[in-house]
Amino acid sequence: MASRRRMLLKVIILGDSGVGKTSLMNQYVNRKFSNQYKATIGADFLTKEVQFEDRLYTLQIWDTAGQERFQSLGVAFYRGADCCVLVYDVNVMKSFENLNNWREEFLIQASPSDPENFPFVVLGNKIDVDGGNSRVVSEKKAKAWCASKGIPYFETSAKEGFNVDAAFQCIAKNALKNEPEEEIYLPDTIDVAGGNQPRSTGCEC
Amino acid sequence: MTPNGVEDEEKFLASGIAGIQQNAFHMHRALDSNNLKDALKYSAQMLSELRTSRLSPHKYYELYMRAFDELRKLEMFFKEETKRGCSIVELYELVQHAGNILPRLYLLCTVGSVYIKSKEAPAKDILKDLVEMCRGIQHPLRGLFLRSYLSQVSKDKLPDIGSEYEGDADTIVDAVEFVLQNFTEMNKLWVRMQHQGPAQEKKKREKERSELRDLVGKNLHVLGQIEGIDLEMYKETVLPRILEQVVNCKDEIAQGYLMDCIIQVFPDEYHLQTLETLLGACPQLQPSVDIKMVLARLMERLSNYAALSTDVLPEFFQVEAFAKLNSAIGKVIEAQEDMPIAGVVTLYSSLLTFTLHVHPDRLDYVDQILGACVKKFSGKGKLKDSIATKQIVALLSAPLEKYKDIDTALKLSNYPHVMEHLDDATSKEMANVLVQTILKNKTCISTDEKVEALFELMKGLIRDLDENLHDEFDEEDFKEEQNSVSRLIQMLHNDDPEEMLKIICTVKKHIVTGGPKRLPFTVPPLIFNSLKLVRRLQNQDENAPEEETSAIPKKIFQILNQIIESLSSVPVPELALRLYLECAEAANDSDLEPVAYEFFTQAYILYEEEISDSKAQVTAIQLIIGTLQRMHIFGVENRDTLTHKATGYSAKLLKKPDQCKAVYSCSHLFWVDDQDSIKDGERVLLCLKRALRIANAAQQMSNATRGSSGSVLLFIEILNKYLYFYEKGVTQITVASIQSLIELITTEMQSENKTADPAADALLASTLRYIQFQKDKGGAVGEKYESIKS
Repeated sequence: MASRRRMLLKVIILGDSGVGKTSLMNQYVNRKFSNQYKATIGADFLTKEVQFEDRLYTLQIWDTAGQERFQSLGVAFYRGADCCVLVYDVNVMKSFENLNNWREEFLIQASPSDPENFPFVVLGNKIDVDGGNSRVVSEKKAKAWCASKGIPYFETSAKEGFNVDAAFQCIAKNALKNEPEEEIYLPDTIDVAGGNQPRSTGCEC
Repeated sequence: MTPNGVEDEEKFLASGIAGIQQNAFHMHRALDSNNLKDALKYSAQMLSELRTSRLSPHKYYELYMRAFDELRKLEMFFKEETKRGCSIVELYELVQHAGNILPRLYLLCTVGSVYIKSKEAPAKDILKDLVEMCRGIQHPLRGLFLRSYLSQVSKDKLPDIGSEYEGDADTIVDAVEFVLQNFTEMNKLWVRMQHQGPAQEKKKREKERSELRDLVGKNLHVLGQIEGIDLEMYKETVLPRILEQVVNCKDEIAQGYLMDCIIQVFPDEYHLQTLETLLGACPQLQPSVDIKMVLARLMERLSNYAALSTDVLPEFFQVEAFAKLNSAIGKVIEAQEDMPIAGVVTLYSSLLTFTLHVHPDRLDYVDQILGACVKKFSGKGKLKDSIATKQIVALLSAPLEKYKDIDTALKLSNYPHVMEHLDDATSKEMANVLVQTILKNKTCISTDEKVEALFELMKGLIRDLDENLHDEFDEEDFKEEQNSVSRLIQMLHNDDPEEMLKIICTVKKHIVTGGPKRLPFTVPPLIFNSLKLVRRLQNQDENAPEEETSAIPKKIFQILNQIIESLSSVPVPELALRLYLECAEAANDSDLEPVAYEFFTQAYILYEEEISDSKAQVTAIQLIIGTLQRMHIFGVENRDTLTHKATGYSAKLLKKPDQCKAVYSCSHLFWVDDQDSIKDGERVLLCLKRALRIANAAQQMSNATRGSSGSVLLFIEILNKYLYFYEKGVTQITVASIQSLIELITTEMQSENKTADPAADALLASTLRYIQFQKDKGGAVGEKYESIKS
C-alpha cells in the first residue's frame, strides 16, 4: 500500500497571476510554449513520468489560478501535496514580494505534518524577457530570500525551456524526500465476512 | 446556515471521509492482491459517499478530492492490469456492473482514461460515449463534479492536433465538440440550481452557485488550451457556440462570470479579431449583468496587450478597436439608464487607458472620451458620489502620467469641463496632481495662454472656492500645497521678454485673488521670477539704446509695486519691506533712479507706519542700511535724504545697544570703496563718535539699574569699525583715537564691577591678534599698524 502511494508525487504550483505557472508546466510536460497569455481557471493537473534511482514515478503537477476570483472552490486539492513550487516573474517586484504570502497560505491550508521541513522550490521565471534588461529582482536578492528559508532556487525561462528540466528534477527529488503523512487507517473491526454494506441513502444515482 | 448547520455539515463530511477511508483500505488490500473483483466492489462503495446531498460545495469538494486521490491509484492498477493482459474493453464493460449510477460513471471515466491511453479505440468515440453517459446524473452538484472529473481525466487525452490521440481529418472538431458539449451540459446543471428549492434560500443557493462556477469555467480554460483551435475556428465555431449558450441561458450569474472567463482564457489576438461578435453579445445579456465590469476587464486586457510591444498595434488599427469599443460603451450606457456615474466613469477610464496605450498620438480620441463624460455629467452640477469623483481623478490623471507633460492636458478642450464637475476638495486634489506632475517632470510652461489655462485648472489651489472648506483646514497640508504652487511660479519661463511679461501679468491676476493666507506664499516667487527677467534684460541689452531697454523693466517695476502693495491686506510688513528693498536694488542695477527711490520710500513708509515691534525694527534697519550702502544711482540729494532718514531711525531704536550697533553700521553709508562720490570721512567719524556716546550711555544705564557696568562688547565692536576705516585710509580716524579706545577697553575689562562676558574676551583677543598680524605682515599696511600700541 505504501509502495503504491510512493509512486505518485503530488506537486502544487503557486504564484501571482501571469508569472508563467501554466507555461512552466506545459514546457516541462509537453515541451510546448505559447506567448499568448491565457488565464487559468480553478485547478488542474498534468502528469509526467519521471525516472529516479531506477524507479519510475508519476509526477502529478497541479497548476492553479493566480487570480483569486478563479479559485471559487477553495484549495482542497492542496491536501497530500509532496512539494510546493512558488513561481514569480523576475520582471515584476510584486510577484516576488508575494512569495511569502503564497508560502504561508499554503502551509495554513495544506497543514502538512511538519511545516518547518515541508519542501518548497522557488522558480524565478521569464529571465529571457528583453534580454534580462527589464529584470527588477536580482538573482542575489532571490537567492538570499530562499537561503533564509532553506528553499532551493532556480532561474527559469519557460519560453526557452531554460533550466525547466533541472528545476523539476529538483522538485521531484524534494517531493520524494517528503515523508508521506500517511493517514494510517485502521478499520474498527476486521470484517471477516468482508462486505460492508454501502451506507447509501435516497435515490439510486 | 446556523452554527448547528455548520456542525452538522462537519459531521456529515467526517462520516463521508470515514466511509471513503474504510472502503479505500479494503480497495488497497484488493489492489495489492490483484483482486479485481474486490477492487471494483470497494471502489464503488467508496464512490457511493459522493452521493450525499448534505454538503455545501466546499465540503463536497473536500470529499471529492479524497475519492479523486484514491481513483488515481485505481487508475494505475487498471493500467497495470491491461499490461498483464486484461482486456481494456472488457474492463470498460465490467465496471458498468456497479449498482449505483454515480459510482458507475466515476469508474467508467477512470477506465475510459486508460482506454484512451491504450489507443485500442479512437479517443473521440470513447469521449463521446462518456460525455453522453454522464447525462445520467441530473443532480446539479453531483453532476457538476462528475463532469469536472471527466474533464480532468480527459484533458490531456483530447484528440487535439499534434497530440498522440489525434484522429482523422476532423479530429479537432471532435475535441472541441466534446468540450463544448460537456460545457453546455454543465452550464445547464449550474443554471438549473438557481430554480430548485425554496425561494427563501435564494441567497444560499447563489452563494453555492458562485462556489461552483469554476467547474463550469474550467471547460472554457480547456478550450483555450487546445492548440488546434486557430483563429478561423475560434471565430466560426468556438466563440459563437459559447456565446449562444451564454446568451440563451438567461442567467445573470452565469452570464457575468462566463463573459469574464471568455475574456481571460482566450488570447488577445482572438479577441481583437472577434471584437464585434464579443461586444455584440453584451446587449443581449440580462439587464442585471454587470456589463461595465466585463467591458472594463476586456479593455484592461487589450491595454496590457498593446503595452507589450508596438508591433501589435497595427492589429488594433486594422480592426478599428477604438471605434468599436467606444460605440459599445456608448450603447451600454445608453441602455442602462440608471447606471451610476461611477460606473460610467469606470468605463471611460478603461477606454482612456486603452487609448493611451494603443493610440498615444490620438489626442482627439482622449478629448472625445472626456467629452463623452462631460455630456453624461451635464446638468448634474458638482458630483457628490465619492467613488465617482475618485474615478474622475484617475481619469484625469491618466493622460498626465502618460504624456508626462502638462502641455498635452492643456490642449484637451474638455479637460477643464470635466474638472468643473468635481467638488471643491477633489478639484483641489486634482490641481495638486497637476502641479506635482509639472514639478516632477520639470515642465516649463512657456506661453501666456497656457499659463492662463493652467491657473484656471488649478484654481482650487489659487483661491478659496468655498467658505466651508475652512472647517477641515489643515495647516501642514496647506503649507505644502502653497509651497508647490510657489515652486511652480518659479518655473514659468519664456525667452521672449514680451511674452514673459504677459505671463507675469497673468499670474498676478490670479494670485491677487488668493486672499491673505496665500499671498505670503505666492507673491515672493512671482517677484523673484520677475526680477530674473529684469536681470536678464540688464545683461542682454547693455549696448541697446536706453529707451527700448528700459521700457519693459519700467513696466515690470510698476507691476511689482502693485503686487507688493497687495500684501498690505495680509499684512506682512516685514516681508513687504524685504521685497521693496530687493526691487530697489534691481532698479538700481537697471539705472532707474526714480523707481529705486520710490521703492525705498515705500520701504520707509512701512518702517514708520507698520513695523512697530522693536526686534523687527532692528532687522529692518540692518536690511535698509545694507541695501542703501550698495545703491549707486542716487544723486546727492536723494541719497542725503535716505541716509539721513536711516541714521535717524537708527538713533531712535528702543534699546541702547541696538541703537549703537545701527549707528555704527550707518558709518558705511558714507564711505564706499568703489564710489568716489561717497567718501565722507567726517560723517564716518561722526557716526562712530555717536556710537561711542551711545555705548557710554548704555553702560551708565546698566550701572544705574543693575549695579554692574555691563559689557564692553559694544566698545570692542566700535574699535573694529575704527580699525576698518583706518585701514581704508579715512584720515579722520587717527592712531590716537584708536589708542585711546584700546586703553578705555582695557581699563574697563579690568574694572572690578564688570560683568563676565566671554564673548567680549574672545572678540578683544582676536582683535588684538589681528592688529599683531597686520603688523607682522610688514609693508604699507604693517607700517600703518606699527604705530598702534596694544
